[in-house]
Amino acid sequence: MTNAKKSEVLQGTLDLMILKTLHALGPQHGFGIARRIEQVSRDVLQLNEGTVYTSLLRLLQQGWIAAQWGTSDNNRKAKFYSITARGEKRLAVETENWERISGVVGRVLRLEGER
Amino acid sequence: MDNQRISQLRAFTARVLGLFRSRKRDSEFDEEMQTHLQLLVDRFVAQGMSREDAAAAARRQFGNTTLLQEDRRELWTLVSVEDLGRDLRYALRSLGRSRAFAAVAIATLGLGIGASTAIFSVIDNVLLEPFPYKDPGRMVFLQIHDTARGQEGGRQGYTSNELLEFAEQNHVFDGVIAASDDLVLYKQGEGVELLYGAHVTPGTFEFFGMPALYGRVLQAPDYQPGAPPVFVMRHKTWMERFNGDPGVLNKTFVLNGTARTLIGIMPPRFGWYEADVLIPETPIRGAATGYAGLPSRWFLLGRLKPGVSKAQAAADATVIANHLAKINPQDYPAHFQVLVKRLGDTVVGRFESTLYTILAAVGLLLLIGCGNVANLMLARATSREKEFALRAVLGAGRTRLVRLLLVESLVLAIGGAALGVLIAWGGLKLIVAAMPLNLIPAESVIELNAPVMVFTLVVAVLTALIFGLAPALRAARRDLNDPLRDSGKGVIGGFRTGRMRDTVVVMEVAVSLTLLIGAGLLMRSFVALREVHLGLQADHVLQTQLPLPEDRYKTAAQVRGFFHPLLARVKAIPGVVDATESSALPPYGGMDSKMEISGKSHAEEWHALLQNISEGYFRVLRIPFKMGRAFSEAEVNDARRVAVVNETFASTFLRGEDPMGRRIKLAGLETLADPVREPWFEIVGVVADVTNQGLQAPIEPEVWVPYTVTGSGAQVLLVRSQQTPAALMNDVRQAVWATDAGVALAFPSALEDRISQLLYAGPRFAFLLMTIFGCLGLVLVTVGVYSVLAYATARKTHEIGIRMALGAERTDVLRFVIRTGLRLVTAGAAIGLIVSLLLGRVIEAELWRGLKPYDPATLAGTTLLLVGTGALACWIPARRAARVDPMVALRYE
Repeated sequence: MTNAKKSEVLQGTLDLMILKTLHALGPQHGFGIARRIEQVSRDVLQLNEGTVYTSLLRLLQQGWIAAQWGTSDNNRKAKFYSITARGEKRLAVETENWERISGVVGRVLRLEGER
Repeated sequence: MDNQRISQLRAFTARVLGLFRSRKRDSEFDEEMQTHLQLLVDRFVAQGMSREDAAAAARRQFGNTTLLQEDRRELWTLVSVEDLGRDLRYALRSLGRSRAFAAVAIATLGLGIGASTAIFSVIDNVLLEPFPYKDPGRMVFLQIHDTARGQEGGRQGYTSNELLEFAEQNHVFDGVIAASDDLVLYKQGEGVELLYGAHVTPGTFEFFGMPALYGRVLQAPDYQPGAPPVFVMRHKTWMERFNGDPGVLNKTFVLNGTARTLIGIMPPRFGWYEADVLIPETPIRGAATGYAGLPSRWFLLGRLKPGVSKAQAAADATVIANHLAKINPQDYPAHFQVLVKRLGDTVVGRFESTLYTILAAVGLLLLIGCGNVANLMLARATSREKEFALRAVLGAGRTRLVRLLLVESLVLAIGGAALGVLIAWGGLKLIVAAMPLNLIPAESVIELNAPVMVFTLVVAVLTALIFGLAPALRAARRDLNDPLRDSGKGVIGGFRTGRMRDTVVVMEVAVSLTLLIGAGLLMRSFVALREVHLGLQADHVLQTQLPLPEDRYKTAAQVRGFFHPLLARVKAIPGVVDATESSALPPYGGMDSKMEISGKSHAEEWHALLQNISEGYFRVLRIPFKMGRAFSEAEVNDARRVAVVNETFASTFLRGEDPMGRRIKLAGLETLADPVREPWFEIVGVVADVTNQGLQAPIEPEVWVPYTVTGSGAQVLLVRSQQTPAALMNDVRQAVWATDAGVALAFPSALEDRISQLLYAGPRFAFLLMTIFGCLGLVLVTVGVYSVLAYATARKTHEIGIRMALGAERTDVLRFVIRTGLRLVTAGAAIGLIVSLLLGRVIEAELWRGLKPYDPATLAGTTLLLVGTGALACWIPARRAARVDPMVALRYE
């Protein structure tokens, strides 16, 4: 049980990052998303890139992103994901949530440090 | 709905949709991942790695693809196939380990599902939806009920005048049609064949709203004077007589001397009047005679206007009937009432209550079955509490546990359902074979009813699921340590659930006893019915109706000219003992006639049944004389005015007087097509009473006169022989054709078979089914009592061991266990007795008069049978308990 909970937090974070990436860069395929996260996190986050796809599926199920087959830069057939209007709304809510919680967590952690 | 709910719902929808496209998704997903991996490899190579190193690095960075596929499937589907397969394997293995439990559960479910589906199908096809017509629920017919007579029913045949009055003067029907029967002779090759025909009035086919299967139905122009003569045929007749040959359509047949064209064949379920052929006829006022010179009678069917009740219709029809009674007082009793009956009442009437009784029985059976399954499931689950707790401790999630049990229950339910379908299919065939065909509407086609099947399947499957799941949920919710600490075989082990199981057993016993008592009563009733003496000996008698062509047989002399030589020919056939003419067939008497006796005055009208016979009648049927003598041959040949009456006649009208030589007037003879003027007859004999109104109704006064007095009336031939009647059939047919090649045998059979079909088929059906269900119930209850007791004893092994170690004798243990079981059985029996007494009124209508629903012999017998069987079911586990070795029992932990 505890195991599942831990991964849930991680999954949620990844979901948020993917949504934000799609919001910022527009339609991307899975490889592009992975590169972008790698680039932004500056190798701090160790990520099994495959989990990006699990995350994408979950987001698809919720209707926050949409998928479409297209051709990549080097002429490969690839699936492109883009954020939907519903996804944008979700992103706004989640971003606010994240900031509030991380703010609280940060404050708590600082307090612990001062003692 | 909060956000989380919505997102759960979305995920669920996606999963359900995912069920339909998973194969494609799999390959797409694979492709996507392969592309990603390839891109990673390309990138690493560009950074200067070797191909192999790059591939390894890419795989490392991407992660396990198989795991991802599985994750994906988990996301898209409801239950993963692997998990389901594992659960299924586990369920099969665990059921295989308790094979007896699985077999009993599946058999019980199957029996319940099968029996109730079969019976529901019959009920639905016979009672609920038998008629395929337009608005059959609003179709009614009228009966003129003589309030002075005790029995139900009344006259339902009307003259053309009456029919037209009702059709034109009523305010309650939006359509009235009528049919009158006719025996139709037509030439087929060398001989003559006979069909049962109906003359139908204009608008009949519009009334029923059914198109023809081939050709067309009768339409308004067919009724016009001078229109070419046509007719329509019933599907069954077409199949049986013409092997479904479409070539007969538009062919011309000579029916009763008229050339008519067959213009249409009706669909299989069209069965109006059960007529083989339907002939158009416009009723005309004053038209007097129909078949066999008897007054023509129309059976009238009306469709109530929407919103008109039966009571309103009765009131309206009463006004018309009162008016008609003033014009034709001889056709109406002094005090009468107009009854409005539904179309279904024509046939089912009495059979309806039989079917509903059986339906109730089968419902009870299903209840016992479900009770058994529930009990078995509960007992099994209780004994597995430890197992579940252990699984939970080892990390099985709650959903996982519940799913496991769900799959197990589903396996049982599906097994039971499959067996149930088989039983329903076979059972329905048996029921149809045993069903009295004259008691169900001709229109009903009895077949397995899909919605009913689904319904019973759902009920049974739900039972299995609920009772399988309830303990699982409880086990899953419970504190894990509880059952682990509980030894499970301790002194107080599982008392709480024990009470629930006991309740189920008590209810089962009660229900089963109710069933058994019902079956017992019907059996006794049937035996009583068979023992009723008809007053005649029907064995070794051949009967056949002989409708004579009307154009050549109008007068008494013409009819005599046929029968006199025929009887001589038949009597000359080797093996024939005697032969006679008659106008009616047992167990029914002749036509109803008004009657007077000279020298007797009376206020009310006197009626008697009137039958025309030749001199051999009483000899053929072995009806004994109480006084006087039978007609002589000369009296019959000369059409003398002599009569024989039955004992009821003498005791009703001439109590304490000598009937011999009294003169009676039979007014009914004046109304025939070949009327008898001044119909005064002298009584020359009195015979013992013979059933003349069926078995249940009391015997009516009856008079027999020589058949030679009139040319009108139905003609029947009765032949007593030394061999079986069937062997005679051909010789009799030859004798008939030798006398007149234009006459056909109609509905010939052994008299015994006819009586059996008419009188015993319905009760036999009810009694047979009830007995089968009663026995099934008994078996199920035995299994139920046994399984519960065996289970309880097994759990109490420890306790029994302690008792025996403390000095209890084996007999004590035996007594202790049997007493526990018998307490349940007797409690159930007591409740069952009470319920049976309360329900007695339901079954009373089915019973032979004189047999009460609280018949002590039946009650005592069935109760003993049940308690005895229950004791037997207790005996086996009790013996096992008594054999317990105390040392083993105490160590058994």
